[in-house]
Amino acid sequence: MNQSLWISKTGLSAQDTRLATISNNLANAATVGFKRDDVVFEDLLYQIRRQPGAQSSQNTQLPSGLQVGTGVRVIGTQKEFSPGSMQITDKPLDMAIVGRGFFEILLPDGSAAYTRNGQFQINADGAIVTARGLELQPSITVPEDAQTISISSDGIVEATIAGQPAAQNLGTLTITNFVNPTGLQAIGSNMYTETAASGSPSTGTPGNQGLGSIEQGSLENSNVDVVEELVSMITTQRTYEMNSKVISTADQMLQYISQNL
Amino acid sequence: MDKAVYIAMASGQNIMAAQAIHANNLANANTNGFQADFAQARSLGVYYGEGLSTRAYSRSENPGTDFQRGSLNETGRDLDMAVEGDGWISIQAPDGTEAFTRAGSLKLDPNGQLLTANNLPVMGNGGPIALPPADKVTLGADGTITIQPAGQPADVLATVDRIKLVKPDEAELVKGKDGLIRRRDGQEQVPDASIRLQSGFVETSNVNAVDELTSIMALARQFEVNVKMMKMIEENSSAVAQVLRAQ
Repeated sequence: MNQSLWISKTGLSAQDTRLATISNNLANAATVGFKRDDVVFEDLLYQIRRQPGAQSSQNTQLPSGLQVGTGVRVIGTQKEFSPGSMQITDKPLDMAIVGRGFFEILLPDGSAAYTRNGQFQINADGAIVTARGLELQPSITVPEDAQTISISSDGIVEATIAGQPAAQNLGTLTITNFVNPTGLQAIGSNMYTETAASGSPSTGTPGNQGLGSIEQGSLENSNVDVVEELVSMITTQRTYEMNSKVISTADQMLQYISQNL
Repeated sequence: MDKAVYIAMASGQNIMAAQAIHANNLANANTNGFQADFAQARSLGVYYGEGLSTRAYSRSENPGTDFQRGSLNETGRDLDMAVEGDGWISIQAPDGTEAFTRAGSLKLDPNGQLLTANNLPVMGNGGPIALPPADKVTLGADGTITIQPAGQPADVLATVDRIKLVKPDEAELVKGKDGLIRRRDGQEQVPDASIRLQSGFVETSNVNAVDELTSIMALARQFEVNVKMMKMIEENSSAVAQVLRAQ
């Protein structure tokens, strides 16, 4: 059978994967703290059908052989951790990380997850939690009669209590970072978990040792550039169409030969 | 039956092989840094002796790779780089030999090794580049890597290594079975200090999609002509048999 059929099939599935990634990026264009994915393509192995330099007769050599590539594959996706733009919300428990790093979140199974989505709330016990009810680490408990909560850029959380002149210190938030954030595993709901590729977490005071500082009352928008995604969508679609054209051409050739011979 | 049918048949097979080369180029139309392969047909005479040399087979082959530049695409990533003009980034192939690539989408692994997108180490002044923990990595125009070491203020910068950029003679280069470009003689290439990088850009595939698609269409029509030839030879042969039967 015509090998072009299988080669172009790899082209189609690679563009399919790319389109899925683009549509996920666009779907999350308004998701706070979302980081876009890029697809990385790689050409597949080549088959040598005729070795260059082989003897074509007793005293002549083939000047060039026949080496045919077998298509393309998706080698992986890369999370792009460039910062998104800031939006001011003025809600006391909205936090954005200015710079590198993540908030640490406690998963129900006791392990840690990491996020850059700083939309926090208070649950019935006064703990600071994400919208899914997972607790922010280190855990901070806000007293019931707190009137205002203020968070400094280096993570000190204070509350003013009715009738008390001095603010009450509730604890200090930390920021966690990784050598290779691109290697983190995305587990959905804006959270990541540590992998062998990301390296181990290093936790520290916000604004120190290269970690980002905390900006209260702001949120980090997604870093999806919709124009770029739409342009990528056009190139993906056209590449897809051309590869499918090759498949139909190869198909017509086979049809022609089976009808005419 | 006339032996010409074998010439038409071999030609049809070779057309399919040439189409496979173009199909592979088209499948990689969106692969960053991909270099398209050429396909050509060459006539291969069977007999050059006395009398009429009427038999010549056509054979498809790929005489080489197209080393023209792809276009530059701005990504804004710190670790993306495109080579300006002629030149290549030196990387280490899985078998330990030196290979060259123009796909400059780089990344760091947890040990600080600088890798290409398909996990091959990028070569520096003295072998594969490994960076100490850094808050920010900047690629200079000449391949120099400047980092802001982890935990240091923004004014403390350190130059750690320099990406090995090379400019081999393109006639010396050949694409291997793993799709990597190497020198034909397997030698290492000396670095060239004149090559410039554009940080924040990647070079796209240099495949001309229209060109590839047109070639595939043209080859498809040529294939049909060959099938037509086979059909005619078959008709001739049955006509001869018809004449002989009439005697």
